Amino acid sequence: MPQLLTNKRLILLLLGVILLVALISFSLRDRGNVSLPEQIIKDAVGAGQSVFSRPAHFVTGIFDNVDSLLNTFEENQHLKTRLEEFAGVQAEVKDLRSENEELKQIVGKEEDLRDYNPIQATVIARNPDQWEEKLILNRGSNHGVAENMAVMTARGLIGKVTLTTPTTSTVELISTLNPNYRVSAMVVGGAKDVFGLIEGYDAERRELLLKRIDADIELKEGDQVVSSGLGGIFPKGILIGTITEITIDEFGLTKLAYVKPAADFSLLNHVIIADRVVPEVDGEDNGVTGDDES
Amino acid sequence: MIRFLIPLICLVLFFMEPVFGLFSPLNVGGEWNYIVPRFLIMFLIFLTLYYDLKHAMFYGLFFGLLYDVFYIDIIGLYSFLYPAICLAAAAVFKRVPRNLLSATLLTLVLLAVFEFLLYQFFLLISLTGMPLGTFLTTRLWPTMVANSIFLVMLGWVFKSVMVTQLSERDNKIGLY
Repeated sequence: MPQLLTNKRLILLLLGVILLVALISFSLRDRGNVSLPEQIIKDAVGAGQSVFSRPAHFVTGIFDNVDSLLNTFEENQHLKTRLEEFAGVQAEVKDLRSENEELKQIVGKEEDLRDYNPIQATVIARNPDQWEEKLILNRGSNHGVAENMAVMTARGLIGKVTLTTPTTSTVELISTLNPNYRVSAMVVGGAKDVFGLIEGYDAERRELLLKRIDADIELKEGDQVVSSGLGGIFPKGILIGTITEITIDEFGLTKLAYVKPAADFSLLNHVIIADRVVPEVDGEDNGVTGDDES
Repeated sequence: MIRFLIPLICLVLFFMEPVFGLFSPLNVGGEWNYIVPRFLIMFLIFLTLYYDLKHAMFYGLFFGLLYDVFYIDIIGLYSFLYPAICLAAAAVFKRVPRNLLSATLLTLVLLAVFEFLLYQFFLLISLTGMPLGTFLTTRLWPTMVANSIFLVMLGWVFKSVMVTQLSERDNKIGLY
């Protein structure tokens, strides 16, 4: 019987393992930065990937169309009832918007946490092994995308940009298990806005956790949660979700609310990257405060 | 021209994986099932069995590296596991009868091993906190079912492609 592991092979194997462990630990240490060869590979693969994702989006588009065609009747009835309300609401919005503009001019306030420049992007791939919730978009630093920008769909917030190359960018979804992923949020709908942090995701319930809410504040189920813009990264007022349950957190000091995300994380297709008009603040989350002073 | 058929298939499968990954997680009866397309590694195992271990390991290294850089940002994970699985396939296949059925079964077993190793790794670096039971029912099981459908449909195509390639290569060697 031929021996599988001769001396020479054993040494090679050991060397390989050492090299492997070194490589893995090296690339684990700074996953936030992309070196030049990595950027080149990412851009090249991204270009190839977008060729393949286009027909896929076309096919899913057809399925979506058929699906909405089947529900046309019900939807139409539902929409008709809403239409009358809509005209009134629109007039009111217009009025409030112009009033807001005027008041801002009087106060001399130009920048607003709410303002952002939208960058339209298409999802070209989703991390196929799905251990991490990541998307890859077809817009990169050439198009003005930078790290930490908020990413959303028409329905609500889905994540933030973690890596950029010239023509692609990587998005970490809000449904990640990464403990350093926080979004400063606020609950609207009550008499006063309530602030808290979206921290963590319950994978079984598929709901976000809104933590650090003052224990004295009363919250209602069904209240809407939006981004507060106070984290220094995201614009204000992006819809995150609605509260489904309120409990006390594990230490019994603050309240914890389960938030059902407004956006659907599966079958993502077109997304919007929000480039905030007010300059982003470098905080603990991205850890580059020191670099800026140079 | 025909020489580039195998790398071309590898490339197509590599790009197909994330496209099919867009459909996951799938909600079946209130349960969310994660389906991970693993077309490339199945093709590589077939390549090992019916063509040549050296080629399979080389392609494994190359596409593993692409996978690592593009999706995972941890270099050395897939680029090690792809060739390692090919090596294991070659070692096991020496001891079992050579036919399409045994090749398919072996590929599926190795695929499960591959998934399990990845799960252990991500558990180790705490990128996931999924308990073992959840992993088996919501990830491994749906993934195996979906990939075995793919393999049963296309396994014989893989085999016939490689067998024709191999005979062509042998003929060429005979000419010189």
